[in-house]
Amino acid sequence: MSKDISDNICDERLFSSLFEKHSKNLHDFLYYKFGEHFNPKDKVQEAFIKLWEHCGKVTPSKAKSFLFTVANNLMLNEASHQKVVLKYQKTKPKTHTNETPEFILEGNEYMDKLQKAIGNLTEAQRTAFLLNRIEGKKHKEIAVLLDISQKAVEKRIYGALKKLREDIDGL
Amino acid sequence: MERKDLIKKWLDDELNSQELEAFKKLEDYKELTTLSNNLKRFKAPEYNVQEELNVALRHINTSKKESKTHWLRPVLRIAAILAISFSVYYYTTTLDTNIATIAAQKTTIELPDASNVSLNAMSSLAFNESSWDKHRDVTLEGEAFFKVAKGSTFNVKTKHGMVTVLGTEFNVKQRDDYFEVICYEGSVKVTHNNDIVILKPGNSFLKIDGKLIAREKETSLNPSWINNESYFKSMPFEYVIREFERQYNVSINPQNIDVKQLFTGSFSHNNLDVALKEITLPLDVTYNFKNKTTIELSRE
Repeated sequence: MSKDISDNICDERLFSSLFEKHSKNLHDFLYYKFGEHFNPKDKVQEAFIKLWEHCGKVTPSKAKSFLFTVANNLMLNEASHQKVVLKYQKTKPKTHTNETPEFILEGNEYMDKLQKAIGNLTEAQRTAFLLNRIEGKKHKEIAVLLDISQKAVEKRIYGALKKLREDIDGL
Repeated sequence: MERKDLIKKWLDDELNSQELEAFKKLEDYKELTTLSNNLKRFKAPEYNVQEELNVALRHINTSKKESKTHWLRPVLRIAAILAISFSVYYYTTTLDTNIATIAAQKTTIELPDASNVSLNAMSSLAFNESSWDKHRDVTLEGEAFFKVAKGSTFNVKTKHGMVTVLGTEFNVKQRDDYFEVICYEGSVKVTHNNDIVILKPGNSFLKIDGKLIAREKETSLNPSWINNESYFKSMPFEYVIREFERQYNVSINPQNIDVKQLFTGSFSHNNLDVALKEITLPLDVTYNFKNKTTIELSRE
């Protein structure tokens, strides 16, 4: 972590740079963990506003964990562990006209299965796994983001993959 | 390399070309890539950082009122101190200057515009120094001789009426039911109740007990008391006694004397015995000291 130039973040420019650095990660984290039902964008806003209100007490190096904790708590207050259903894009990137209807049907069935399987993952597994697979984040980055060891990240991701494959096969 | 390790490395995108070949040969290679590609379709909705930042900044700026207290509080403190000190300053500077004499004391005051006021015994004069440029107003109780410098109107307010001048020399005497203005130079306007009288040099305005008393022309240039003498002309004796008491800080008890009879004459302010003789001999009255400050007057 770079050395803090100032011991608080009550400065709009510093605040903006923190926002640019952390807001997307925070949003993605909330989205993959809780789904979109509880409006992760709003929670990101709320968390940053809380950060501003406490700007005198939070150093820039503590800002990330402050934001993630606050946003996570905000979510937990509302989402009392409901089933998470993530949406997927219905339209396929390419429409292959020569595909058989059976193939398309199979594809839709596959997606539905995948959706359910993602919902069945634990929050910890899902967050780490999707940040890795969808956002293309390295294990190391995820470890920093979630404040856990790289080994734990690897374990979660591999566990998630294993569980997904079992679920898809089983369903 | 084991299959599990290959998959783990693939997950972290760490496969080198050799390992990648090995990974591709795995039986579940196709399944894994299909899964991976399809997972991409669960991507989180687009997140526009700049747009969201603007929303946050707007929110912060509108709710700054709360955070404003961080710096507003000390500012308010400073403002309060300034306000208090300013009001104290304002109060003290607008406060009237008050000058008073006790019995047997005379004083001369120079007003802010170099006008001169001589204050006779047991009199007080109040004026406002800070607003002097705008109004030359003084409040008088007792007797004073004014030499007013030329300038805007100069007002002397007394319990009995107002004296207005532009720049002259005049004497104002206001005692109980006694009100007298004598003009020595220039002209003086006297406002008493609803009467307005303009005095020319030598003219005087005298009201005793509400009655206007006509007087002869004054020939002296100064009121007599300026020269440490009190001069009276056809004045009821009681007013002479009161003036005497003020000048010597004594109390006089007239016994069997008619205090209404008129007295013409003067007494000096310098010697009590001489002065007593000056007021008693013409009326054929004797005096004797009851104690140091009480004098009894009687007729044989």
